[in-house]
Amino acid sequence: MSRQRPAGLQKALNVLGPFIGLALVIALFALIPEVQGRFLRFANFKSVATQSVIVALGALGMTFIIVSGGIDLSAASNIALSSVITAYAINAGAAPLVAVLLGVLTGGLVGLANGALVTRLRLIPFIVTLGMMGIARGAAKWIAGNQKIDAPMTWANEFMARSPRPSWLLLAPGVWIVILLAVAMAVVLRYTVFGRHVFAIGSNESAARLCGIRTSRVKILVYSVAGLFCGLSGVMEFSRLTVGDPTVAVGLELDIIAAVVIGGGSLNGGEGSILGTMVGVMIMSFLRNGCTMMGWPNYIQEIIIGAIIVIAVTLDRLRHRGE
Amino acid sequence: MKSLALKTLAGCLCFALASSACVKKSSDAAGPREGRTLQIAVIPKGTTHEFWKSIHAGAIEAARELGVEVIWKGPQKEDDRAQQITVVEDFISRGVDGIVLAPLDDRALMRPVQDAVRERIPVVIIDSSLQGSDFTSYVATDNYKGGVLAARRLGQLLGGRGRIFLIRYQEGSASTVQRETGFYDTVKKEFPDLVLLVQDQYAGATTETAYQLAENLISRFPDVEGVFAPNESSTFGTLRALQESRLAGKVVFVGFDSSPKLVQGLRDGHIQGLVVQNPRKMGYLGVKTMVAHLRGETVEKVIDTGVVLATADNMDDPAIKSLLSPDLSKIID
Repeated sequence: MSRQRPAGLQKALNVLGPFIGLALVIALFALIPEVQGRFLRFANFKSVATQSVIVALGALGMTFIIVSGGIDLSAASNIALSSVITAYAINAGAAPLVAVLLGVLTGGLVGLANGALVTRLRLIPFIVTLGMMGIARGAAKWIAGNQKIDAPMTWANEFMARSPRPSWLLLAPGVWIVILLAVAMAVVLRYTVFGRHVFAIGSNESAARLCGIRTSRVKILVYSVAGLFCGLSGVMEFSRLTVGDPTVAVGLELDIIAAVVIGGGSLNGGEGSILGTMVGVMIMSFLRNGCTMMGWPNYIQEIIIGAIIVIAVTLDRLRHRGE
Repeated sequence: MKSLALKTLAGCLCFALASSACVKKSSDAAGPREGRTLQIAVIPKGTTHEFWKSIHAGAIEAARELGVEVIWKGPQKEDDRAQQITVVEDFISRGVDGIVLAPLDDRALMRPVQDAVRERIPVVIIDSSLQGSDFTSYVATDNYKGGVLAARRLGQLLGGRGRIFLIRYQEGSASTVQRETGFYDTVKKEFPDLVLLVQDQYAGATTETAYQLAENLISRFPDVEGVFAPNESSTFGTLRALQESRLAGKVVFVGFDSSPKLVQGLRDGHIQGLVVQNPRKMGYLGVKTMVAHLRGETVEKVIDTGVVLATADNMDDPAIKSLLSPDLSKIID
């Protein structure tokens, strides 16, 4: 945490690492003549940004959890559950605003349950959220009657429209929501007492407790906030699909975790930043987008993203050896 | 250090903006141009199943014949609606000349297809239907007719009377529901003496769930005389259950789709008929229709790619054999 001289260069590299990665990915596709002209167009950046919204929202919350030394494997199931709840509510005749709030709250409740179980039962987050992953996914399928829910189109489906309705918005409303929340969360994580407590718990939980930090309370709050983000992400997923699909986002929790890790988050806790995470999200989205535009088979894309994760974690370990 | 990071970011952005500004001129002229190979994106529901490989082979055949380029790309995870939307959007960004799409969802893919049409990229839908009417043409198997063929085969072999199961696949799966409806309607209309012992049981998505359902049904109705199953996994699961309970060959069994195990079942006399689709033709006609549309010809709004009934008698005819066990190795490398 401390800004000591010898670590200065290394720290700079840590911060820069993800940006270099992003620049490399963009440069790679920008140099391939086949897609060059199209890849660098604003319209393409717009669709990459829209495609990033769901993972980005999940990753905002996940950054807090990972910085606090935890993990949330239930994120993707939570997204699916929240999207199903939103669709269900709209279908049942609720006003779109109510449905959206219900979706977000559902996510928050799942997060609260995660936090409560982790702190009250003193189980490790991996196990608690692994269990919650199944519970939330099952609940989503149950509520949806084991099939997708067709809901009528409302303004709730405009969040993720590729071409936003008032065209001066330029980007989909969902993208603006992510940008605003990312800035807010970056401030919370870096400059508030709560944010510093999260770092303290992730660095050394018992020390933090001895310093008088109410670790349980902070952790419950962290998991609840992350849950709210998953809920919002679920609303966005519904907005994008225009149906509530209980089988959506299987395995997405790994993308979310990967984004945090690529962005410099440490699974040992105590390290990570919102800016880094957002860059991690963009790296994966641009890769996916570029690979698709090139028409490369999916396995190439999977191998590349896998390799990037390993490289990122290797950097993470080197950093710890250096300290 | 932070300023360095910001500088790099700013640098990247400048670079990106500058390059996008340079290339904008050259790429503004979207749409088909003379003297350039047409690029057609073909987007399946998944890439690993045999069915989609046949569609891929058909698309490549059409591409070779017509001198166009086919870009084959499915969602990264099989059957993931959200990722299929992403793939469609990315091809809109790339500015391909046309998109041939097998939508994973008749509703969720509506908006990306609208986006494509707004950017003047025509879309041909294959295999499964899409709501709305933004697409140029719909090229698919007439699934209802497939169910009719199966019912007639079963009815004829049983001499018009007997106790049968209609095993359903899964709620909400449009193509199999059409097959089941075709079967049900034909039984009611043409074979009133066939008794449906079971007609509202769902086999579920996997062979395993179909196997369990068929086992339970057989132990409850051991005197069953005929069975129809509406897709590959339910047919195979039912076949396994019939074989285990030593009823295979004694019960008239008609299934849908093909796989090496089902072909063997047909040869052994455990299956009396398989209704097979023509995915290769679907891929071929999907691309061909798109190219015809792009070259200014008028195309049919709905194109049927046909179903045929394979039996032990005709299974070695070259035409049927190529549908039962397609040899794609020459086309897809």
